[in-house]
Amino acid sequence: MANKKAFGKLKGREAMVLAIIVAMIALFSILSPTFRTYPTLVSVLDNTYYITLMALGVTFPLITGGVDLSIGTGLVSYALIGGFLIFQKGMPVGVAIAVCIGFGVLIGVFNGVLVAIMDLPPFLATLCTCMITRGLGPALCGGFGVSWPSSISADGGFRKIFKFVTAEGTVIPIGIVFMIILVAIMSFVLDHTRVGRYTIAIGSNKEATRLAGVNIKFYHVLAYVISGLFAGMAGVAYAATYATIYPGAGAGFELDAIGGAIVGGVSASGGVGTILGSFLGVIVICLMKVGLPFIGLQANWQQIFTGIVLIAAVLVDVLKKKKD
Amino acid sequence: MEKIKQNAFVKKVGFNRIVLIFVLLLMYLAFGALTGGSFFGFSRIMNTLNYVYFLGFLSLGVTFVIATGGIDFSIGPVMFCCSLVSGYCLTTYGVPMAPSLIMSILIGVLFGVFNGYLVAYWKVPPFIVSMASMNIAKGIAAVFTKTQSVSWPQSTTDDGWYRNFINMNGIPVGLFIFLGISVICAIVLNKTKWGRYILCLGSNEEAVRLSGVNVKKWKMLAYIICGTLVGVASIFFVAAYTTVQPGYGDQYNNEAIAGCVMGGTSMAGGLASISGTVIGVFIISLLQQGILALGFTKEYQYIITGLIVIAAVYSDVSARRRRN
Amino acid sequence: MGEIILTMKGIDKSFPGVHALDHVDLEVRKGEVLALMGENGAGKSTLMKVLTGIYKKDSGTITYEGKEVEFKNTREAQDAGIVIVHQELNMLGHLTVAQNLFIGREFKKGIRIDDKKMNEEAAKLFERLNVHIDPTETMSNLTVGKQQMCEIAKAVSFDAKVIIFDEPSAALTESEIEEMFKIIRDLKKKDIAMVYISHRMDEIKVITDRVTVMRDGTYVGTLITEECTKEDIINMMVGRVIYEDPKTESAVPKDAPVVLKVEHLNAGRMVQDVSFELRKGEILGFSGLMGAGRTETARALFGADPKESGDIYINGQKVTINNPQDAVNCGIGYLSEDRKRFGIVVQKTIAENTTMASMKDFMNGIFIDKKKETDVANQYVEALATKTPGVDELVVNLSGGNQQKVVIAKWLTRNSDILIFDEPTRGIDVGAKNEIYKLMNRLVAEGKSIIMISSEMTEILRMSDRIVVMCEGKKTGELDISEAKQETIMNLATREIE
Repeated sequence: MANKKAFGKLKGREAMVLAIIVAMIALFSILSPTFRTYPTLVSVLDNTYYITLMALGVTFPLITGGVDLSIGTGLVSYALIGGFLIFQKGMPVGVAIAVCIGFGVLIGVFNGVLVAIMDLPPFLATLCTCMITRGLGPALCGGFGVSWPSSISADGGFRKIFKFVTAEGTVIPIGIVFMIILVAIMSFVLDHTRVGRYTIAIGSNKEATRLAGVNIKFYHVLAYVISGLFAGMAGVAYAATYATIYPGAGAGFELDAIGGAIVGGVSASGGVGTILGSFLGVIVICLMKVGLPFIGLQANWQQIFTGIVLIAAVLVDVLKKKKD
Repeated sequence: MEKIKQNAFVKKVGFNRIVLIFVLLLMYLAFGALTGGSFFGFSRIMNTLNYVYFLGFLSLGVTFVIATGGIDFSIGPVMFCCSLVSGYCLTTYGVPMAPSLIMSILIGVLFGVFNGYLVAYWKVPPFIVSMASMNIAKGIAAVFTKTQSVSWPQSTTDDGWYRNFINMNGIPVGLFIFLGISVICAIVLNKTKWGRYILCLGSNEEAVRLSGVNVKKWKMLAYIICGTLVGVASIFFVAAYTTVQPGYGDQYNNEAIAGCVMGGTSMAGGLASISGTVIGVFIISLLQQGILALGFTKEYQYIITGLIVIAAVYSDVSARRRRN
Repeated sequence: MGEIILTMKGIDKSFPGVHALDHVDLEVRKGEVLALMGENGAGKSTLMKVLTGIYKKDSGTITYEGKEVEFKNTREAQDAGIVIVHQELNMLGHLTVAQNLFIGREFKKGIRIDDKKMNEEAAKLFERLNVHIDPTETMSNLTVGKQQMCEIAKAVSFDAKVIIFDEPSAALTESEIEEMFKIIRDLKKKDIAMVYISHRMDEIKVITDRVTVMRDGTYVGTLITEECTKEDIINMMVGRVIYEDPKTESAVPKDAPVVLKVEHLNAGRMVQDVSFELRKGEILGFSGLMGAGRTETARALFGADPKESGDIYINGQKVTINNPQDAVNCGIGYLSEDRKRFGIVVQKTIAENTTMASMKDFMNGIFIDKKKETDVANQYVEALATKTPGVDELVVNLSGGNQQKVVIAKWLTRNSDILIFDEPTRGIDVGAKNEIYKLMNRLVAEGKSIIMISSEMTEILRMSDRIVVMCEGKKTGELDISEAKQETIMNLATREIE
């Protein structure tokens, strides 16, 4: 397993993904002149916010050798609940945001208990929570779609975190700054705090970590709580970038996030992964999502390609392991 | 040392099937009581059976995969892909009914080969293959039908004979077919070489390999059997519900796995019960009907199914822990 | 050598069916390197596990630094200053060296882990020990030797006063061993006491001060390294009276045909250019100490693990064996040393396990002929005297000896002519052991040929017609039973003094 540094601080795998991103942008730009316009860039970024947030969070369970499949339906559910509180119960946006994120954390704790304490297989446990959250949102909100306040309304200020529309109508996607800040923060957590260190240790050799006296149950649960927290935040991002939230959406979002993380270098067997890698991997996935229509392939092709890319990424890792 | 008891009827299965049948009857009576008797109507029975058929085939299929210690949660979307693609060929390209039905099954087989090959020969973790397959299936279906729903012919048309698979002049043909195929599955699993190898490699793959058995081949076969049954399920789905929409199918994954695990099949592999799966499927279908009858929406079904699977898997996990 | 820092007296420990430690004594002094020697199963590891709290002793006392102690787990022992450097490294491959050293006790600056300080401290530690390892290197990128040195450094960083080395040089190169010795000499100067478990005579001679020998769970004696010879030590290791009659001469006629010929088998470090022959009706014993490469040789031969090169001839014909299927089709059966993990499918019945390698003979069309299966299984239960209420019993409910009989039945059902028994009587009580021996003799009398890998000297001497001895991946000797003595075998199994 090579951890060689390529350009300055970028590891080999990350450099490779960055190269892929550049290649993809070049390819799409050449094949479609309408691709390399500003509105396209904004549209690409619009998609990255909620997926990036999911990917940043799910990196932690993945590094422990597990997975969190509940993030997709989860984020939609949390956003539904938040929107419901605003419109049906007249709560201020701030409360809705807090509840949205709070639910994410709650489900994260639930997942953590199922996997780390009750010892259930992670994919099955989170598959169940995926189902549960899928029902929970609509059940609590009466099954209708909701919209969070639009940008022109009084409460729409929260949307400004992601997109700032100037007086002349130009859209500035400042959400990207927000993302970069989060990437920096979570990189710090993963690389320089005990939370991150023990997450990697658990994925590398759980028993050895336990013998070293580390409270693995706590840190293992924490990995899922982080995932849940970010799913909650993704819910807010989702609500901020899209007009209406429909119940029943969300299935398949986790593929984008997990696929992105794995493309970016997270290993399905655990112990390996970086936040920057996950972020870059997500950009590859989002580029595909937005770019494919420009070369004539409708949006659903993206699902097929993402699935194939995920398998290809894992096969690359399998082959590398065989060589060692 | 505590001996592991082996009553002929209970035979190696975690959950006592007698208990399950009692649960089933109890549920039936409870729903009847709660709905003031209207639950016992003929149409209610028909609706339940319609659900049992396709879910049952999905459950039977996934039983084989779980017996090898793996998992396949692409079954729902693959089922939809089968009926969407072949239905589209039927309605738009004028492919006759019989070949369309066969195509439905073949698409399922293809996905089974794909999944099985990656898991058995390339050692890609089953949950990643499932995730990828799930989305590839959804993508293919959506691209093929241009994201439109597909409606299969009514029973009154010339081609309507396929509905006879469900019932013919009031005789529940579907039930006989389902039970018949269940019996075949049980025979394959318990009385043929295929089943023997599948169960043994699920229990201890290395011991079977060292006995000179080609475990890769038989593992892949389990996934192919699953794919075939998924294809069959798709026929029964459209025979009952006529219209299929792309983008759905996820909920059936969990319900199929729920029926299977509830019936005593162990997630760890090696232990599987077809009869348990059949009873489990009836329980899940009845539950679904009951929830609807009591006026709740399908969201509650999701939540309850999720919780049931968690409970069933946890009891399996703790039973295994006690045995060790 | 300084004062006594650790004394173990009268340590007794039993497991179900096995009296692992029988009033064992041990005494270690500050600044000394005490070798702890004995054959496989002598009880060395068990004794150390009792010391560090992995096992609870049945009786006896442990006195450390003048006080009586009993550690409940390795962490307690570690905190008190007694550390084991394991053979199987307990490390976190994906983290760096420094991160591994300080896992669980990281230096912090607020919530930030101070990796810089950890790297510095690690570097200082390595400098003190004269080791050249980059603290920022990822652990899994290091050679096994360097990983081992990290373990040693970790032990030292715990302010250890007693360090136990469990077969430390097994995976090291010559130069790495030299580096390790430098570290050990350094630690001696710092008054740290060390217990050195190893079978390598030349190393014992070079680095240790005294040698304590164990045999069959008992304490035999202690010698001063300088004043004793290799023969003295070997005598203590094997000097037992063998009550069961060892075989005095081979039961195989001189002109018996060669059923299996292995030439230049190579499979990594554990199997280096191994060649041997097996004749019809013969029991070929494979002797050697742990890590000699015998199981690896068997597995490479059987196709269970990939091999780099090697030719295999069965009855004179060259065969290709790339996986267990090929081997089984050639008539070879392998009974692995870890019965539960590799030999039987635990949650299935005796009948099902018996036919596992021969399913195509039990088919009735597409169905399994369960009646034939039951009949054959019953036949073998009777023939092998397997104690069980019936062939529908799950094998997990059988005792070790009876489980072994089921594995034997599996290969007999397959009519395998060449059987490889890897530690055939491990974990089996005395009564069942004799039954297995009788069985093996009957099998060869019927014309089958057996390779028997065993770490029990008595077993090797009792059963083998010829003996192949291996040491660290190489075949070091081949003896006819008539000329085999415990001392000669042990001599070949341990490294030669240069």
